[in-house]
Amino acid sequence: MNEPKKLIDTPSQTAGPFLHIGCTPRITGINIFKSELGLIPFQDISDNEAINIKGKIYDGNNEPIIDAMIETWQCDVNGNYSSNQGFARIVTDLKTGEYQLKTIRPGNKINTDGSLSASYITFWIVARGMNRPLITRMYFLENDLKNDLVLNNIKIEDRLNTLIPYTEDKKNFIFNIYLQGKKETIFFEF
Amino acid sequence: MIKKHQPLRKFHDYKSSISRSPNKEPLWINSSSSEMSGPLFSEKIINKNDNDLTLNFSKIGEKPLGQEIFVHGFVKDENGNNLKNVLIEIWQANAGGKYRHQNDPSNIKLDENFGGCGRFITSSDGYYIFKTIEPGAYPYPNRGTEWRPRHIHFSLFGSMFLQRLITQMYFEGDPLIKSCPMVNSIPDINARKLLIGRLDLSKTENEKILGYRFDIVLRGKEQTFFENKREGL
Repeated sequence: MNEPKKLIDTPSQTAGPFLHIGCTPRITGINIFKSELGLIPFQDISDNEAINIKGKIYDGNNEPIIDAMIETWQCDVNGNYSSNQGFARIVTDLKTGEYQLKTIRPGNKINTDGSLSASYITFWIVARGMNRPLITRMYFLENDLKNDLVLNNIKIEDRLNTLIPYTEDKKNFIFNIYLQGKKETIFFEF
Repeated sequence: MIKKHQPLRKFHDYKSSISRSPNKEPLWINSSSSEMSGPLFSEKIINKNDNDLTLNFSKIGEKPLGQEIFVHGFVKDENGNNLKNVLIEIWQANAGGKYRHQNDPSNIKLDENFGGCGRFITSSDGYYIFKTIEPGAYPYPNRGTEWRPRHIHFSLFGSMFLQRLITQMYFEGDPLIKSCPMVNSIPDINARKLLIGRLDLSKTENEKILGYRFDIVLRGKEQTFFENKREGL
Protein backbone atom coordinates (compact mmCIF):
# COMPACT_ATOMS: atom_id res chain seq x y z
CA MET A 1 0.00 0.00 0.00
CA ASN A 2 1.41 3.34 -0.98
CA GLU A 3 1.08 6.02 1.66
CA PRO A 4 1.44 9.65 0.63
CA LYS A 5 4.95 10.92 1.26
CA LYS A 6 5.13 12.92 4.45
CA LEU A 7 7.17 16.04 4.95
CA ILE A 8 9.94 15.82 7.52
CA ASP A 9 9.23 18.02 10.51
CA THR A 10 11.69 20.87 10.98
CA PRO A 11 14.47 19.87 13.38
CA SER A 12 14.54 21.39 16.85
CA GLN A 13 17.48 23.55 17.94
CA THR A 14 18.42 24.84 21.37
CA ALA A 15 16.58 27.93 22.60
CA GLY A 16 19.97 29.16 23.86
CA PRO A 17 20.81 31.22 26.94
CA PHE A 18 19.04 34.36 25.68
CA LEU A 19 15.58 32.89 25.11
CA HIS A 20 14.15 35.57 27.39
CA ILE A 21 14.50 38.18 24.63
CA GLY A 22 11.87 36.45 22.52
CA CYS A 23 9.83 34.59 25.13
CA THR A 24 9.80 36.76 28.27
CA PRO A 25 11.20 40.04 26.93
CA ARG A 26 10.28 42.19 29.95
CA ILE A 27 12.97 40.41 31.98
CA THR A 28 15.52 41.83 29.55
CA GLY A 29 14.02 45.31 29.70
CA ILE A 30 12.21 45.06 26.37
CA ASN A 31 8.66 46.25 26.83
CA ILE A 32 7.15 46.44 23.37
CA PHE A 33 4.49 43.72 23.28
CA LYS A 34 0.92 44.03 24.54
CA SER A 35 1.40 41.22 27.04
CA GLU A 36 3.71 38.41 28.01
CA LEU A 37 2.44 34.90 27.29
CA GLY A 38 1.24 32.55 30.01
CA LEU A 39 1.68 34.89 32.96
CA ILE A 40 -1.18 33.12 34.73
CA PRO A 41 -2.59 29.72 33.75
CA PHE A 42 -6.16 30.53 34.85
CA GLN A 43 -8.03 33.78 35.35
CA ASP A 44 -9.08 34.69 38.86
CA ILE A 45 -7.52 31.89 40.87
CA SER A 46 -9.08 32.19 44.34
CA ASP A 47 -6.96 31.83 47.47
CA ASN A 48 -9.06 28.82 48.27
CA GLU A 49 -8.12 26.87 45.15
CA ALA A 50 -4.59 28.20 44.56
CA ILE A 51 -1.64 25.85 44.81
CA ASN A 52 2.02 26.83 44.65
CA ILE A 53 4.69 24.75 43.00
CA LYS A 54 8.35 25.64 43.11
CA GLY A 55 11.64 23.92 42.47
CA LYS A 56 14.87 23.84 40.51
CA ILE A 57 16.16 21.97 37.51
CA TYR A 58 19.51 20.33 38.26
CA ASP A 59 22.04 19.53 35.54
CA GLY A 60 24.48 16.61 35.52
CA ASN A 61 26.87 18.53 37.77
CA ASN A 62 24.06 19.03 40.28
CA GLU A 63 24.01 22.75 39.52
CA PRO A 64 20.63 24.48 39.17
CA ILE A 65 19.94 25.64 35.62
CA ILE A 66 19.50 29.43 35.68
CA ASP A 67 18.51 29.96 32.05
CA ALA A 68 15.67 27.50 31.49
CA MET A 69 12.13 28.20 30.37
CA ILE A 70 9.32 25.93 31.51
CA GLU A 71 5.92 25.86 29.89
CA THR A 72 3.27 24.07 31.89
CA TRP A 73 0.06 22.70 30.44
CA GLN A 74 -2.84 21.24 32.40
CA CYS A 75 -6.55 20.61 32.45
CA ASP A 76 -9.06 22.37 34.67
CA VAL A 77 -10.61 20.97 37.85
CA ASN A 78 -13.08 18.98 35.76
CA GLY A 79 -10.42 17.28 33.69
CA ASN A 80 -10.99 19.33 30.54
CA TYR A 81 -8.27 20.81 28.36
CA SER A 82 -9.13 24.14 26.78
CA SER A 83 -7.15 26.22 24.29
CA ASN A 84 -7.74 29.42 26.26
CA GLN A 85 -6.57 28.38 29.72
CA GLY A 86 -4.20 25.99 31.49
CA PHE A 87 -1.00 27.33 29.94
CA ALA A 88 1.80 29.01 31.88
CA ARG A 89 5.26 30.15 30.83
CA ILE A 90 7.84 30.56 33.57
CA VAL A 91 11.60 30.93 33.63
CA THR A 92 14.06 29.82 36.26
CA ASP A 93 15.53 32.67 38.31
CA LEU A 94 18.63 34.07 36.59
CA LYS A 95 20.55 33.91 39.89
CA THR A 96 19.12 31.05 41.95
CA GLY A 97 17.57 28.82 39.28
CA GLU A 98 14.28 28.55 41.19
CA TYR A 99 10.96 28.56 39.36
CA GLN A 100 7.57 29.28 40.89
CA LEU A 101 4.12 28.50 39.57
CA LYS A 102 0.79 29.50 41.06
CA THR A 103 -2.03 27.45 39.60
CA ILE A 104 -4.96 25.19 40.51
CA ARG A 105 -4.90 21.48 41.05
CA PRO A 106 -5.97 19.79 37.81
CA GLY A 107 -8.80 17.29 37.84
CA ASN A 108 -8.76 13.74 36.53
CA LYS A 109 -9.09 13.73 32.78
CA ILE A 110 -11.30 11.09 31.20
CA ASN A 111 -9.53 8.50 29.03
CA THR A 112 -11.00 7.35 25.74
CA ASP A 113 -12.25 4.16 27.39
CA GLY A 114 -14.07 6.15 30.07
CA SER A 115 -11.63 5.48 32.89
CA LEU A 116 -10.12 8.33 34.87
CA SER A 117 -6.50 9.30 34.41
CA ALA A 118 -4.30 10.40 37.27
CA SER A 119 -4.06 14.14 37.82
CA TYR A 120 -0.91 15.77 36.48
CA ILE A 121 0.69 18.91 35.06
CA THR A 122 2.90 18.67 31.96
CA PHE A 123 6.30 20.39 32.13
CA TRP A 124 7.93 21.33 28.79
CA ILE A 125 11.50 22.52 29.31
CA VAL A 126 14.05 24.25 27.07
CA ALA A 127 17.44 25.84 27.81
CA ARG A 128 20.96 26.31 26.49
CA GLY A 129 22.48 22.86 25.99
CA MET A 130 19.11 21.23 25.24
CA ASN A 131 18.94 20.44 21.55
CA ARG A 132 15.37 19.28 22.03
CA PRO A 133 12.81 20.11 24.70
CA LEU A 134 12.51 17.82 27.72
CA ILE A 135 8.99 16.80 28.66
CA THR A 136 8.00 15.49 32.05
CA ARG A 137 4.91 15.45 34.24
CA MET A 138 4.24 16.30 37.85
CA TYR A 139 1.72 13.90 39.34
CA PHE A 140 0.29 14.47 42.79
CA LEU A 141 -0.11 11.01 44.29
CA GLU A 142 2.08 7.99 43.72
CA ASN A 143 -0.84 5.58 44.16
CA ASP A 144 -2.79 7.54 41.60
CA LEU A 145 0.12 7.27 39.23
CA LYS A 146 0.53 3.53 39.65
CA ASN A 147 -3.07 3.03 38.61
CA ASP A 148 -2.74 5.30 35.61
CA LEU A 149 -3.48 3.17 32.58
CA VAL A 150 -0.92 5.00 30.48
CA LEU A 151 1.85 3.99 32.79
CA ASN A 152 0.80 0.43 33.49
CA ASN A 153 3.22 -2.31 32.57
CA ILE A 154 6.29 -0.17 32.40
CA LYS A 155 9.41 -1.34 34.13
CA ILE A 156 10.47 1.83 35.81
CA GLU A 157 8.56 1.49 39.04
CA ASP A 158 11.58 2.42 41.11
CA ARG A 159 11.75 5.78 39.30
CA LEU A 160 8.08 6.72 39.45
CA ASN A 161 8.73 8.78 42.58
CA THR A 162 10.67 11.25 40.38
CA LEU A 163 7.29 12.42 39.06
CA ILE A 164 5.92 13.19 42.52
CA PRO A 165 6.60 16.50 44.29
CA TYR A 166 7.55 16.92 47.91
CA THR A 167 4.27 17.96 49.49
CA GLU A 168 4.75 20.62 52.15
CA ASP A 169 1.03 20.92 52.76
CA LYS A 170 -2.15 20.73 50.67
CA LYS A 171 -1.27 23.95 48.87
CA ASN A 172 2.50 23.96 48.58
CA PHE A 173 4.63 21.58 46.56
CA ILE A 174 8.32 21.35 45.70
CA PHE A 175 9.03 19.66 42.39
CA ASN A 176 12.72 19.43 41.56
CA ILE A 177 13.79 18.05 38.21
CA TYR A 178 17.04 16.13 37.87
CA LEU A 179 18.58 15.66 34.42
CA GLN A 180 21.03 12.98 35.55
CA GLY A 181 22.15 10.97 38.56
CA LYS A 182 20.42 8.67 41.03
CA LYS A 183 17.30 10.82 41.10
CA GLU A 184 17.13 11.31 37.31
CA THR A 185 13.60 12.39 36.43
CA ILE A 186 11.55 10.37 33.96
CA PHE A 187 11.24 12.25 30.67
CA PHE A 188 8.60 11.39 28.08
CA GLU A 189 8.67 11.07 24.33
CA PHE A 190 5.56 10.83 22.16
CA MET B 1 15.52 4.45 19.05
CA ILE B 2 16.11 7.90 17.55
CA LYS B 3 14.55 10.20 15.02
CA LYS B 4 17.47 10.92 12.73
CA HIS B 5 16.02 14.18 11.50
CA GLN B 6 15.89 15.53 15.06
CA PRO B 7 19.07 16.40 16.97
CA LEU B 8 20.64 14.09 19.50
CA ARG B 9 20.11 15.36 23.02
CA LYS B 10 23.64 14.50 24.02
CA PHE B 11 26.20 15.50 21.40
CA HIS B 12 29.83 15.57 22.48
CA ASP B 13 30.90 18.39 20.17
CA TYR B 14 28.33 20.62 21.89
CA LYS B 15 29.79 20.72 25.38
CA SER B 16 26.87 22.08 27.36
CA SER B 17 24.60 19.31 26.02
CA ILE B 18 26.58 16.73 28.00
CA SER B 19 25.47 17.81 31.47
CA ARG B 20 22.12 19.12 30.23
CA SER B 21 20.70 15.94 28.73
CA PRO B 22 19.35 12.86 30.51
CA ASN B 23 21.53 9.76 30.69
CA LYS B 24 18.59 7.35 30.70
CA GLU B 25 16.33 6.59 27.74
CA PRO B 26 13.10 8.59 27.54
CA LEU B 27 9.84 6.82 28.22
CA TRP B 28 7.86 6.49 24.97
CA ILE B 29 4.12 6.66 25.55
CA ASN B 30 1.12 7.29 23.36
CA SER B 31 -0.15 10.83 23.03
CA SER B 32 -3.21 11.64 25.09
CA SER B 33 -5.44 14.68 25.41
CA SER B 34 -2.63 16.57 27.18
CA GLU B 35 -0.42 16.32 24.09
CA MET B 36 -3.17 16.68 21.49
CA SER B 37 -4.42 19.97 22.93
CA GLY B 38 -2.62 23.25 23.48
CA PRO B 39 -3.02 26.98 23.95
CA LEU B 40 -4.26 29.05 21.02
CA PHE B 41 -3.38 32.71 20.69
CA SER B 42 -5.47 35.36 19.02
CA GLU B 43 -4.54 38.35 16.87
CA LYS B 44 -5.58 40.45 19.86
CA ILE B 45 -2.19 39.93 21.48
CA ILE B 46 -0.34 41.30 18.44
CA ASN B 47 0.50 44.94 17.75
CA LYS B 48 0.76 46.16 14.16
CA ASN B 49 4.56 46.41 14.14
CA ASP B 50 5.37 43.36 16.26
CA ASN B 51 6.79 41.61 13.16
CA ASP B 52 8.95 44.57 12.12
CA LEU B 53 12.12 44.47 14.21
CA THR B 54 13.46 47.54 12.39
CA LEU B 55 10.56 49.55 13.85
CA ASN B 56 9.28 47.89 16.99
CA PHE B 57 12.05 49.13 19.29
CA SER B 58 13.60 52.05 17.41
CA LYS B 59 13.19 55.72 18.15
CA ILE B 60 10.87 57.60 15.83
CA GLY B 61 12.65 58.34 12.58
CA GLU B 62 15.64 56.12 13.39
CA LYS B 63 16.61 52.63 12.26
CA PRO B 64 18.84 49.87 13.59
CA LEU B 65 22.20 49.33 11.89
CA GLY B 66 22.63 46.46 9.48
CA GLN B 67 21.36 44.92 6.28
CA GLU B 68 17.56 45.00 6.26
CA ILE B 69 15.92 41.70 5.35
CA PHE B 70 12.54 40.06 5.05
CA VAL B 71 12.25 36.55 6.45
CA HIS B 72 9.08 34.89 5.24
CA GLY B 73 7.53 31.54 4.44
CA PHE B 74 4.77 29.08 5.22
CA VAL B 75 4.12 26.90 8.23
CA LYS B 76 2.87 23.46 7.23
CA ASP B 77 1.97 20.15 8.80
CA GLU B 78 3.65 16.93 7.73
CA ASN B 79 0.99 16.38 5.05
CA GLY B 80 1.84 19.71 3.46
CA ASN B 81 -1.25 21.54 4.68
CA ASN B 82 -0.66 25.18 5.53
CA LEU B 83 -1.25 25.94 9.20
CA LYS B 84 -3.12 29.08 10.20
CA ASN B 85 -3.14 30.77 13.61
CA VAL B 86 0.36 29.57 14.49
CA LEU B 87 2.02 32.02 16.89
CA ILE B 88 5.65 32.60 15.89
CA GLU B 89 8.06 34.38 18.21
CA ILE B 90 11.57 35.24 17.02
CA TRP B 91 14.67 36.65 18.70
CA GLN B 92 18.17 37.42 17.51
CA ALA B 93 21.43 39.32 18.01
CA ASN B 94 22.01 42.76 16.50
CA ALA B 95 24.13 43.40 13.40
CA GLY B 96 27.31 43.22 15.49
CA GLY B 97 26.39 39.88 17.06
CA LYS B 98 25.28 41.30 20.45
CA TYR B 99 22.08 40.27 22.25
CA ARG B 100 20.05 42.69 24.32
CA HIS B 101 20.43 40.46 27.39
CA GLN B 102 22.09 40.96 30.76
CA ASN B 103 23.95 37.65 30.46
CA ASP B 104 25.54 38.32 27.07
CA PRO B 105 29.23 38.72 28.04
CA SER B 106 30.36 40.30 24.76
CA ASN B 107 31.59 43.91 24.80
CA ILE B 108 30.12 44.64 21.37
CA LYS B 109 27.83 47.67 21.55
CA LEU B 110 24.09 47.38 21.86
CA ASP B 111 22.12 49.09 19.12
CA GLU B 112 19.81 51.59 20.81
CA ASN B 113 17.35 51.13 17.95
CA PHE B 114 17.18 47.34 18.12
CA GLY B 115 15.43 45.13 20.67
CA GLY B 116 15.77 41.88 18.78
CA CYS B 117 12.38 40.21 19.16
CA GLY B 118 9.17 39.93 17.15
CA ARG B 119 5.84 38.14 16.98
CA PHE B 120 3.45 37.12 14.24
CA ILE B 121 0.43 34.82 13.85
CA THR B 122 0.22 32.96 10.54
CA SER B 123 -2.59 34.04 8.23
CA SER B 124 -5.35 31.80 6.92
CA ASP B 125 -2.96 30.39 4.29
CA GLY B 126 -0.20 29.63 6.79
CA TYR B 127 1.98 32.56 5.71
CA TYR B 128 4.25 34.61 7.96
CA ILE B 129 6.63 37.51 7.40
CA PHE B 130 9.13 39.41 9.53
CA LYS B 131 11.20 42.44 8.64
CA THR B 132 14.48 42.65 10.52
CA ILE B 133 18.22 43.12 10.06
CA GLU B 134 20.74 40.40 9.39
CA PRO B 135 22.21 39.33 12.76
CA GLY B 136 25.97 39.16 13.21
CA ALA B 137 27.93 36.02 13.95
CA TYR B 138 29.42 35.88 17.45
CA PRO B 139 31.95 33.83 19.43
CA TYR B 140 30.99 31.60 22.36
CA PRO B 141 32.84 29.16 24.59
CA ASN B 142 32.55 25.52 23.53
CA ARG B 143 35.66 23.58 22.56
CA GLY B 144 37.67 26.70 23.15
CA THR B 145 36.18 29.72 21.44
CA GLU B 146 33.90 28.90 18.52
CA TRP B 147 31.68 31.01 16.29
CA ARG B 148 27.95 30.69 15.93
CA PRO B 149 26.71 31.05 12.38
CA ARG B 150 24.34 33.98 11.83
CA HIS B 151 20.92 32.79 13.02
CA ILE B 152 17.43 33.77 14.13
CA HIS B 153 15.66 31.84 16.90
CA PHE B 154 12.10 30.73 16.10
CA SER B 155 9.45 29.55 18.57
CA LEU B 156 6.15 28.15 17.25
CA PHE B 157 2.84 27.05 18.78
CA GLY B 158 0.80 24.78 16.53
CA SER B 159 -2.67 23.60 17.48
CA MET B 160 -1.45 21.03 20.02
CA PHE B 161 1.47 20.77 22.41
CA LEU B 162 2.96 17.94 20.34
CA GLN B 163 3.67 20.56 17.68
CA ARG B 164 5.48 22.96 20.01
CA LEU B 165 8.80 23.77 18.37
CA ILE B 166 11.82 25.93 19.09
CA THR B 167 14.43 26.05 16.34
CA GLN B 168 16.88 28.34 14.56
CA MET B 169 17.08 29.62 11.00
CA TYR B 170 20.54 29.92 9.44
CA PHE B 171 21.47 31.91 6.34
CA GLU B 172 22.20 30.30 3.02
CA GLY B 173 25.89 30.31 2.20
CA ASP B 174 27.15 31.07 5.71
CA PRO B 175 30.49 29.21 5.94
CA LEU B 176 30.12 28.83 9.72
CA ILE B 177 27.15 26.45 9.37
CA LYS B 178 29.09 23.34 8.54
CA SER B 179 31.23 23.45 11.70
CA CYS B 180 28.35 24.35 14.04
CA PRO B 181 27.94 21.58 16.63
CA MET B 182 24.28 22.48 17.19
CA VAL B 183 23.54 21.93 13.51
CA ASN B 184 25.72 18.83 13.44
CA SER B 185 23.83 17.31 16.38
CA ILE B 186 21.23 16.37 13.74
CA PRO B 187 22.30 12.94 12.43
CA ASP B 188 20.51 13.22 9.07
CA ILE B 189 22.62 15.52 6.89
CA ASN B 190 19.66 16.30 4.62
CA ALA B 191 17.52 17.35 7.58
CA ARG B 192 20.15 19.94 8.55
CA LYS B 193 19.38 21.74 5.30
CA LEU B 194 15.80 22.28 6.51
CA LEU B 195 17.17 24.92 8.90
CA ILE B 196 18.63 27.12 6.18
CA GLY B 197 16.75 30.22 5.06
CA ARG B 198 17.22 30.54 1.30
CA LEU B 199 18.04 33.79 -0.42
CA ASP B 200 14.79 34.89 -2.09
CA LEU B 201 15.42 37.59 -4.65
CA SER B 202 11.71 37.68 -5.48
CA LYS B 203 11.21 39.23 -2.04
CA THR B 204 13.69 42.10 -2.29
CA GLU B 205 12.21 45.57 -1.97
CA ASN B 206 13.23 49.02 -3.18
CA GLU B 207 16.66 47.69 -4.01
CA LYS B 208 17.58 47.83 -0.34
CA ILE B 209 15.85 45.01 1.53
CA LEU B 210 16.96 41.42 0.88
CA GLY B 211 14.59 38.47 1.20
CA TYR B 212 15.02 35.05 2.79
CA ARG B 213 12.54 32.20 2.53
CA PHE B 214 12.16 29.77 5.44
CA ASP B 215 9.32 27.23 5.50
CA ILE B 216 8.65 25.32 8.70
CA VAL B 217 6.99 21.90 9.12
CA LEU B 218 5.33 20.92 12.41
CA ARG B 219 4.94 17.26 13.30
CA GLY B 220 1.73 15.26 13.38
CA LYS B 221 0.19 12.96 15.97
CA GLU B 222 2.02 9.83 14.90
CA GLN B 223 5.40 8.74 16.18
CA THR B 224 7.35 8.76 12.96
CA PHE B 225 10.72 7.12 12.50
CA PHE B 226 12.50 7.58 9.25
CA GLU B 227 15.38 5.22 9.93
CA ASN B 228 14.95 3.10 13.03
CA LYS B 229 11.55 1.60 13.73
CA ARG B 230 10.43 1.63 17.29
CA GLU B 231 10.85 -1.74 18.94
CA GLY B 232 7.68 -3.79 18.95
CA LEU B 233 6.04 -1.88 16.12
